[in-house]
Amino acid sequence: MNAYGLMAVFDNPADAMHAAEKVRDAGYTKWDVHTPFPVHGMDAAMGLPNSKVGWFTFCGGAIGYTTGMTMIWWMNAYDYKIVIGGKPMMSPFFSFPVSYELTILLASFGSLIGMFLLNRLPRLHHPLLKNRKFCAGASHDKFIVVIETADPKFNTEETRKLLASAGSKHIELVED
Amino acid sequence: MSTHALSFLSGLRARWVAVIALAFAATLLGANLTAADAHKTETKAEAVHADHGGAACTSCCAAAPSWQKQFGYAYLTAYMFCLSFCLGALFLVLLNHLFDAQWMLPIRRFLEHIACLLCPTMAVLWIPIGALAPHIFPWMGPELQANPDHALHAKYPLFTTQAFYIVSGLLFVIWYVVTNGLRNASLAQDKDGAAVHTRTMRKYAAAGIFCFAFSLTGAAIYWMKALSHQFFSTMYGVVYFAGSVWVTVITTYWLLLYFKNRGDLRDVTREVTFHDCGKLFFAFTVFYAYIHFSQYFLIWNAAIPEETFWYVAREKGSWWWVGQITIFGHFWFPFLLLLPIHRKLNFQVMTTLTGWAWLCHYLDLQFNIGPVLYPDGLHFGFYDVLSLGFLISVLVFMFTRDFNAHPPYPQRDPRVAEAMGVYVDPASTKAAH
Repeated sequence: MNAYGLMAVFDNPADAMHAAEKVRDAGYTKWDVHTPFPVHGMDAAMGLPNSKVGWFTFCGGAIGYTTGMTMIWWMNAYDYKIVIGGKPMMSPFFSFPVSYELTILLASFGSLIGMFLLNRLPRLHHPLLKNRKFCAGASHDKFIVVIETADPKFNTEETRKLLASAGSKHIELVED
Repeated sequence: MSTHALSFLSGLRARWVAVIALAFAATLLGANLTAADAHKTETKAEAVHADHGGAACTSCCAAAPSWQKQFGYAYLTAYMFCLSFCLGALFLVLLNHLFDAQWMLPIRRFLEHIACLLCPTMAVLWIPIGALAPHIFPWMGPELQANPDHALHAKYPLFTTQAFYIVSGLLFVIWYVVTNGLRNASLAQDKDGAAVHTRTMRKYAAAGIFCFAFSLTGAAIYWMKALSHQFFSTMYGVVYFAGSVWVTVITTYWLLLYFKNRGDLRDVTREVTFHDCGKLFFAFTVFYAYIHFSQYFLIWNAAIPEETFWYVAREKGSWWWVGQITIFGHFWFPFLLLLPIHRKLNFQVMTTLTGWAWLCHYLDLQFNIGPVLYPDGLHFGFYDVLSLGFLISVLVFMFTRDFNAHPPYPQRDPRVAEAMGVYVDPASTKAAH
């Protein structure tokens, strides 16, 4: 049986935040903090850069806008010309609202798809979900730091010492 | 006090001034270049003006406008520019109480002072507009007063000289009551820390937001839209509102930075305060574009001559380029620039953008006011410099006097600890007092 990672349980957000700072400063890369609610300042404590989802949103929006404009031009001004209210065949004004709606639609699709891709979702199973302590705590009243064995800096003894020095009362090896 | 006022100005960055000066120079150059172009098509333009048939055109097509007109338009533009900040500040203070917002606490006190400039300061500064109104507003001129046209007749009880002065006076009364009510309660709370003042401010805000909406629309219609009294637009007030809050929010960002560096707001200002301010500016960048586009879109789609003439006049000469600055400079440039999160926290970018926003908002107001007197293009002359310089100096002086006389942020607001990013147990808070 392979070990997935080392899990350290904390009782309050402040302890988990200080632990996260220690883990960050120790140079770990494959690790995460699981809390029952969003903790302000955790991104900085974990040293997380900005999410890349914004780029997916931007690309989705840009594609939506150009699709809308091209579609309206092709339908109204090229493929089947119809004069409506004496207006020009193609104008950025009347085609804007529809293109704008498509911008919003595809931008939100972009965000959703980007979120799924970056989180490597969907997946059917995660080793942590098999751990009773994790399942009972992470969504209730515990703040859990997990460092994966796949981390290049991972060393069972050293990592355990680091988490213990951060003040965790319960540290265990989670199996895959 | 005057030395304080000057030290306030010394905080302006050289880059900030340079950007404004360069942009103004470029605009003036553009105006001169296109003015030559406009002369060629002068005859064509006159024909278009004849189509409008309005007596308004007899004034603007005359050889040279009188000094009262030139000064009146320059002063009105500068006045509406300064009014934007006062009304924008009032809106942000109202917003603070309506949403019980914690993040706005550091900026609330100086916004209260700016809002309080509405009355009496701005009321006194309005006197030249009141005095020159018959020269500024074509509908108040002798020809139209003697023979009212259809548009004036249709808007009868509102567009009379008496109504103009009564409503204008009423606006200042409303502003006086709302702004001073809010500031007095806020200052009283500094002394005794009683919760009752927070409730008072909430009541003022709940009623004040309606008063604000009506009074701002009234000001935009009577003092700006009335320049073309034949024009219809239900969105006119909102466009002025969106532009005003837009420029106020970025100025708030700059003031926050300035007062933080000076030390007044060091204790309460955090990175998140700047980030929130930047986000609000970004939101209003989009909101302004949405609102102004909607106004243009509705008028373009309906294609009714009573409405389209307003935009037709603004596509002549260098006004075309001023309109392009509104599209690309007022919206696209800040929109694309501020999309990444880190730019909203970059003080150099945001400081430079403050100057840019001032320029864009001023040109937006020129776009609204100027074409009535100068159909051939943008004019920026001695009277404009004089009016802007005078009004801004008076407001900065009055603001600095108020700001220095009181604590720089609400001292005993229930949310002050939260705004500082400190957690205080309810029990220990009681013990501390």
